[in-house]
Amino acid sequence: MSAGEHRILVVDDERPIRRALEVTLTKAGYKVLTATTGDEALTAAALTPPDLVILDLMLPDADGADVCRQLRDWLAAPILLISAVGEEADKIRALDAGADDYVTKPFSPGELLARCRALLRRAAGQGGGEAVVDVGHLRIDLPRRTVTVAGEEVRLTPTEFDLLKALAVAGGRPLTHQMLLRTVWGPGYADEMHLLRVNMGRLRDKLQAEGVERGAIETLTGVGYRLREAGSDPERGP
Amino acid sequence: MSAEGRSQPAAMVIAAASVAACTVVVALLTPTVPVRSAGVFYLVAVLAISSIYGLWLGLATSLVSALAFNFFFLPPLHTFTISSSGDWLALAAFALAAVVTSQLAARERAEAEQATRRAAEAELGERLATLIANGSQLQTALPQLGRQAARALGARDGGIHLGPPAPSARAGRAVPIELDGRRLGELRLIDAPAGVADSADAARIGRILAGLIALGQEREQRLANEVESEALRRSNELTTALLRTVSHDFRSPLTAISTAAEGLRFAVLEGDERELVDTIAEQSGRLSRLVTNLLDLSRLESGAAVPAAEWVDVRDLVDAAVADVRANAEVPAEVEHEANLPLVRVDAAQLQRVLVNLLENAAKFSPPGTPVRISAAARGGRVSVSVADGGPGVPDAERAHIFRPFYRGPGGREPGSGLGLAIARGLATANGATLTLEPADGSGATLTVSIPAAPAPEGRPR
Repeated sequence: MSAGEHRILVVDDERPIRRALEVTLTKAGYKVLTATTGDEALTAAALTPPDLVILDLMLPDADGADVCRQLRDWLAAPILLISAVGEEADKIRALDAGADDYVTKPFSPGELLARCRALLRRAAGQGGGEAVVDVGHLRIDLPRRTVTVAGEEVRLTPTEFDLLKALAVAGGRPLTHQMLLRTVWGPGYADEMHLLRVNMGRLRDKLQAEGVERGAIETLTGVGYRLREAGSDPERGP
Repeated sequence: MSAEGRSQPAAMVIAAASVAACTVVVALLTPTVPVRSAGVFYLVAVLAISSIYGLWLGLATSLVSALAFNFFFLPPLHTFTISSSGDWLALAAFALAAVVTSQLAARERAEAEQATRRAAEAELGERLATLIANGSQLQTALPQLGRQAARALGARDGGIHLGPPAPSARAGRAVPIELDGRRLGELRLIDAPAGVADSADAARIGRILAGLIALGQEREQRLANEVESEALRRSNELTTALLRTVSHDFRSPLTAISTAAEGLRFAVLEGDERELVDTIAEQSGRLSRLVTNLLDLSRLESGAAVPAAEWVDVRDLVDAAVADVRANAEVPAEVEHEANLPLVRVDAAQLQRVLVNLLENAAKFSPPGTPVRISAAARGGRVSVSVADGGPGVPDAERAHIFRPFYRGPGGREPGSGLGLAIARGLATANGATLTLEPADGSGATLTVSIPAAPAPEGRPR
C-alpha cells in the first residue's frame, strides 16, 4: 500500500506548525487536510473521513480529550496527539478518550512519520488479532500463555504474563497506568500503582536475564508503558 | 529637693521672727497666765520651724526660744542664767520636740518628695515613650527626648548623643545611657545643677532613656527588615512573572522554527544548505531547552512545580532518563542497578528531569569517549542514584556554588546556561529528595540524588 492512498487530517491552531506538518506529510506522499479548531476538525472528518488524525492536544476552542471522544464515536481511524512537555495529565485523558499515540514537541519529522506509518499499518491489520506476537527475539504465545526469548522459555507469574500480554495486544500503542491496572488486576485496582511498578520491575528483570533489554518495554514517564515494536526507531523516544 | 537647702538665710529670718512673735505673745499672756505655762507657746515656733525647715533650724529655734524665754520671762530677768532645774527641763523638752518633729516632718517630706519624683518620672517616661512611639524615626524624636529628660533633671537644656562618648565631652555633664551594661549613648546636660549628672535621679532617667531608645532602635530595625523583605518579595515576583511570560511566549515560535527546520533537514538538502539548516535546527533546539529551563526555574521559584507523587521504580526513571539524553546527544552511559530496589513516592516526570539534568551535566565534563556512570542503590532507607563523570572534578572553591542558578564556573566560562543543576536540586527538594555533590576522590565529580524509600502499602497483593 502506498502512502498516497492515505488521507491525514492535521488539526492545529498554530499556522507555522500546521504548515510544517502539511509540507512534511505531503512530501512523504500523504494527502493532507487541515483544520484549525475542534469544530472544524469534526466537520472536516465528517465530510471526508480521514485515515489518520493528527491532533494538537491544546486547541484554543476545545479540550483535546473531548475532541478525541467525539471523533471516536463514529471514526475508526487512529488519532495521533501532538503534545508539549508537561502535559502528561492531558495526554492521559486523551489516551483514555481513544487517542492512539502521541509525539512530544519538538519532534523530528522522522519520528512523526514513523508513528504515522505504525498507526496506519496497525489500523490496516485491525480485527484479526494475532495469536502469537513477535517482538524481536521475544515471542508471546497468547493461547498457550508462554513467552520465549530466542526459543528459551521465560517463566513468568500469571500477573507478569497478563501484563506482557496487555502490552503485546496493544501492539505498540501506549497504555496508561490506569489502563494496565484495570486490564490486568481489575476495575477496582486503578489506583494501586505500586502493584504495577513491582510487577513491571520483575517482568523486566526476567526478560533482561534472557537478553531482552529493559527498554523493550518503554517507560513513558508520567503516562504509562508501551511495547517497543521491532523496527521502530529505538533511538528516539516520544 | 528638700526645703532645708532652698534658702538658708530666709529660713533663719523666718525662724527668728517666729521666736520673736512667740515672745510677744508670751509677754501679752503673762499678766493673766502663769509665766511657766505661757512659755509652752514657744513650742508652736519650734514645731513649725522644725517641720518646715528640718532638724538643725528646729534645734536652733528651740535653743533660741529657751534663751529668749529665760532672758525675758524667768528670773533673774534679762540674764541667761538658768536657776531652776524646771527650766532645764523646759529647754530639754523644747529640744526634744524639735528633734522628733523635724524627724517626722523630714520623713513625711521625703516620702512626699519621692512620690512627686516617681510621678514626675512616670510622666517623663510617658512623654518620652509617646515621643518614641509617635516618631516615625528614632533620630527625629531624640532632640525632644533629650530636652525633656534634661529639664526633668533641672538642666536648662540637653541632648542625646548615641554611640561612644565624644572625646571632648566633659565629665560630670553627661548621663550615660546604658542597657544591661551595653552603652547606647549619653544624655548631655546644659546648665545643669552641680553633681546632678551623677545623682540617682540621673541614673534612673538614664535607664528610662536606655529602655526607650533600645525599643525604638528595635522597632526601626524590624521596620527596615520588613521593608527589605517586601522589596525582595516583589522583585522576586516580578522576576518570576517576567521569566514565565518571556519563556512562554518564546516557546511557540521556537517550536515552529524547530519543526520547520526539521522539515527542511528531512528534505534532501546537501552541502552548504544542509549545514545552514542543521545550524537552524540545532540552535533553535538549544534555545528551546534554555526556555524550558527558564520556565522550570520560574515554576520552582514561584512554588508552581507541585509534585504529583506516585509509586515509582527508580530503575524506570534511570532508563527513561538515559534514553532521553541519548536522543539529544551522543552520551555513552554505563547503567548499573542494584537488584530489589524499593519503590519511592515521587513525581516521576520531575525526578526524571533531575536525572536528565545530571546526565547532561556529567556529559559536559566528561572527556569525549569517557562514559558517564549512573548507578542506583538502596542505602539506609533511601534509594540513591549517583551520576559520575570522568572529568576533572569540582575544585574546592566552587563546591558551594555549583547549585546556584546561572552559575557557570569562575568567570562564567563553562558552556550552558548554568541552570541544570539549580533546577535539579530544586526539583529534588520539592520531591523530598536531596541532591548533593559527593566528596572529591580525585576521579571526577559524582552527584547523588537520595530519595526516601516508601514502604509499599499492605494488603491486596497479587
